[in-house]
Amino acid sequence: MKIKRLLIQILVPLVSILISFLAGAILIAGIGGNPGEAFSFLLKGAFGTKANFGETIVKSVPLIFTGLAATFAYKCGVFNLGAEGQFAMGAVASIWVSTSLTGISGIPLLIISLLAGILAGGLWGCIPGILKISRGLNEMIVSIMLNYIAILFMGYLYSSPLRDGSVPQTAAVPVKLPRIMEGTRLHAGIIFAIVLALFLYYFLFHTAAGFKLRAVGLNQTAARYNGYSVKKFMLVSFVISGAIAGLGGSVELHGTQFRLMAGFGDGYGFDGVAIALIGQLNPIGTVLVAYLFAVLRTGATTMQAGSGMPTSVIDIIQALIIVFAVAGSALTNLPKIRQVLTNMLSKKAQEGKA
Amino acid sequence: MDFLNMTFLQELLLSTVRMATPILIVALAELYSERAGQVNIGLDGIMAFGALAGFMVCYITGNPYLGLLAGAAGGILINMVYAFCTITLGAEQIVYGMAINIFAPAIASFIYKVYFGISSTLAQATLMTPMPIPFLSKIPLIGPVFFKHTIIVYIAYLLVPLSYIFFQKTKAGLNFRAVGEYPKAAESLGINVVKQKYLACIICGALAGVGGAYLTTCYISTYTDGVVSGRGFIALSAVIFGRWMPGGVLIAALLFGFTDALQLRLQVLSSQTPYQLLAMIPYICTLFVLAFFGIKKAGPKANGKPYFREER
Repeated sequence: MKIKRLLIQILVPLVSILISFLAGAILIAGIGGNPGEAFSFLLKGAFGTKANFGETIVKSVPLIFTGLAATFAYKCGVFNLGAEGQFAMGAVASIWVSTSLTGISGIPLLIISLLAGILAGGLWGCIPGILKISRGLNEMIVSIMLNYIAILFMGYLYSSPLRDGSVPQTAAVPVKLPRIMEGTRLHAGIIFAIVLALFLYYFLFHTAAGFKLRAVGLNQTAARYNGYSVKKFMLVSFVISGAIAGLGGSVELHGTQFRLMAGFGDGYGFDGVAIALIGQLNPIGTVLVAYLFAVLRTGATTMQAGSGMPTSVIDIIQALIIVFAVAGSALTNLPKIRQVLTNMLSKKAQEGKA
Repeated sequence: MDFLNMTFLQELLLSTVRMATPILIVALAELYSERAGQVNIGLDGIMAFGALAGFMVCYITGNPYLGLLAGAAGGILINMVYAFCTITLGAEQIVYGMAINIFAPAIASFIYKVYFGISSTLAQATLMTPMPIPFLSKIPLIGPVFFKHTIIVYIAYLLVPLSYIFFQKTKAGLNFRAVGEYPKAAESLGINVVKQKYLACIICGALAGVGGAYLTTCYISTYTDGVVSGRGFIALSAVIFGRWMPGGVLIAALLFGFTDALQLRLQVLSSQTPYQLLAMIPYICTLFVLAFFGIKKAGPKANGKPYFREER
């Protein structure tokens, strides 16, 4: 059975990625482009120079955070589609705190600002959680509505009360996250992201609380039977998920963007959900898939400039990866297919032994 | 309060009916889907693809009616991906709806960019002209508000009583509902559950595609990324608020249409209020309405659950 799990966890995403690239190549050829040339521009854009290499990692940081947020909530059986809003609210709280606090500067201000982001994200994530457990509302609809409200609120802030100068944007944050690689924009946020992913992996798979949380996600009735407070777990996982996304927004603000403006955090929330699903809801998988998405995102611009292929080819490849990965996991779970797979694997195992 | 005159009221109500239409059509789409146990949260994606298909055909042929048909066809096409993976492969419906929400807008955006070039000015297509109903449209206030619309608006409102009759009074409708309530019992009565579910997905795709095409053929004359802006999710909440009944869905759609129309009017009237705060109204309203009127369980019992014939 272990082999089968491994097969689903690693092989399904890998095959989906390969098929998606193949489909992307056909698409490029279909509109009169040269797939080889386009993909080589893509790779050049993502890894070609030291600066590009760093940029790819920079782009993966917010994706790791929203991906982890989606993973964590999903493990407890709730859907957090609100990472986008929580991300934005985290950044909003950070810019507010860090530009209005006086008499404090440097690292302490940075820490306070990051904490504000975590708090704001957690609070924003609390709303769908509370409405779900108290009113039985669908958490997806609530969190999506909150996304629109958060993005509009952010827009209001940078164009009215916190506006700085003639363009609608805020002032820059007074303290920035330190750069960790010379000649690139790579900042300390990546360390936060990876440490968080490792911590979540340990928490989910190697602690009692993590086990209970997963149990609630797998079978609510059984969990309730065992005396776990299902509602409490759901609420807490929503708050933590929101806090992770909020920290992501704050880190993005302090490490890359430095100020709020139009398009801040655009699309990170939904990409986070996709990344979590392709990463098979495993924090480590999330990091790897987030990096792949970042490669696609950074490379896409170079590809468009170099070969004239629109960046939306990359969007389609990303979308296809999730379509195939999710279908693939479902396919390997079908009773008939599962039978075939188990037969194949056990035969192979026997041959291996003989 | 000098703006509260007849013209303002008439404009507001007219706009309400116009804004409620896409939400109504798409909410009915979801109603058919969920009645057969297929929760589809990919409505936003289907709408986006329908909006593009409608716009492209309308732009090329100059005929908005063909645009609507194309929207329906596009919606069905996209929803078949969802149908195959959730019905035949048994993939989780929520997860797959999400996949459609990411997949469909990406394809729509790609087709638009390939056809119109990467950095072109917005292409404009002709809009559908309203078809005032003779006599009725002459009634003061009510006439212009209800009887001076494009044909699709009348069809949308006509679908409400028709759907009610279908679900409550016809054998086909009862079979349809049985699939969503208790598929195993339905199967034992000789109803082909899988076929019924596919049919539901075809209806859902067609209607949601039309709802998207309405945006680009009757409302604004161009396609942009994000043209749907969460209307699919508002339609999803309209189904919950409307308690899975056509009449309730109509009331919900009108309510959401009203808040949308109101915020647009307010933006024009008070230009000093930041528009972002006004634009929040429909979303906040949706939340409040759901929080106060949303009930825990009223939907079809087997909603969202995959169905395997061989199992147990």
